[in-house]
Amino acid sequence: MLQQRDENAFSYLYDNYCGALLGIVNSIITNKEISNDVLQNVFVNIWKKIGSYDPSKGRLFTWMLNIARNAAIDEVRSKGYRDGQKNQSFPENVDIQVARAVTGPAIADVGLRKVLTQLKEELRVLIDLSYFQGFTHEEIAKIQDIPLGTVKTRIRTALIQLRSLIK
Amino acid sequence: MDIKEYISSGIIESYVLGLASPEERSEFEQLCLVYPELAAARTEFEIALENRLMDLAVAPAEETKKKVMDSLRQQSSVNQTKIITMEKANTTRSSSSLRWVAAASVILLLGCVYLAYSFYSKNKKLESELTKTRDEQNKVKDQLKQLEMLTDPNVAVVNLKGTEKAPNTSASVYWDSTSASVYLVVKNMPQLPNDKQYQLWSIINGPGGQLQPSSMGLFDVGADGKIILKIDKGAKKADAFAITIEKRGNTGGPTLDSLQAMGKPNL
Repeated sequence: MLQQRDENAFSYLYDNYCGALLGIVNSIITNKEISNDVLQNVFVNIWKKIGSYDPSKGRLFTWMLNIARNAAIDEVRSKGYRDGQKNQSFPENVDIQVARAVTGPAIADVGLRKVLTQLKEELRVLIDLSYFQGFTHEEIAKIQDIPLGTVKTRIRTALIQLRSLIK
Repeated sequence: MDIKEYISSGIIESYVLGLASPEERSEFEQLCLVYPELAAARTEFEIALENRLMDLAVAPAEETKKKVMDSLRQQSSVNQTKIITMEKANTTRSSSSLRWVAAASVILLLGCVYLAYSFYSKNKKLESELTKTRDEQNKVKDQLKQLEMLTDPNVAVVNLKGTEKAPNTSASVYWDSTSASVYLVVKNMPQLPNDKQYQLWSIINGPGGQLQPSSMGLFDVGADGKIILKIDKGAKKADAFAITIEKRGNTGGPTLDSLQAMGKPNL
């Protein structure tokens, strides 16, 4: 009974949030098939980890959003994903990954990325590297060859602007 | 902290989007507990982000939901018993670990009590040893002084000879006439009944042959018949020293009938 009720609640949760979460996954992974697989894993993980969600630290959606983003980044960084990208090979080398991040094969400006196009280029790049590609501030400083302090300041600036953009 | 400045620093967006460092996260979470306006601002951004992303939603493939739900059912049925056993294992583990913690606490407490007691008794023992050592040190100091007295050229030794009433009496007065200090060394005198005490006198030959005794103090002799005493009252001048038996706490003059010993310094 309880199990059934949980399933119904979860089915509702899925129906309500699958689209928004897939939107985030899609802004990290272009391949629709893969992003659907990732979304599936995201919901399985939400189901498994729901006990560790702490409402005092934020809304349920925020919690799920971070699971989705992390899952998508993990997928992009997995060997299987890189091998699957036939036209390119992405060695471990961070700089080459970044070259991809900055120049190309550009992920279409969908979802949240479209919002970000309104940011200045130098700020957009930093959000792309940190939020959509999951690089740390230190890695970004190295990749962009700018001081760590500047990275932090610019990301904060970008985030403050993002706040007004999404309203 | 200027919380308004903090709120508008971009930390909220950084936290919500998962870009904050672990240190920033824990600081933010603590500040949220202290500043309700910070938590409110966080929620505000969360809702804005949520609404925006809901607008940007993309419908997944239809079979994805079926896959998810199948996967859950599979997990549930596979884990049905597992979940129960795991929960059981969890509860036993937590209660057994609680028990371990409790046992460890008791052992720790007992250990502390033992240590405290052991320190306490050691301390007591040390204190009493210290007192004992101090006493011994004082005794040795006194003895050293006495030895110094014996070897001091200014010190006169007056041997007190036993009277007919006490022929076995053996006692000496060590008298430093320059400092007026007097030591009495009793080598052999019988122990007195409780109501009696010995009394040491210094005697000056007064004008016209009148003897002027003055009390140097009352003293007791133990069963061994020996005692060494520093006489508190000094004697600048003395023609003789004498010991009498008096009633305990005598304040009067000497009872000459009970004269036990007497001696004159060889000046």
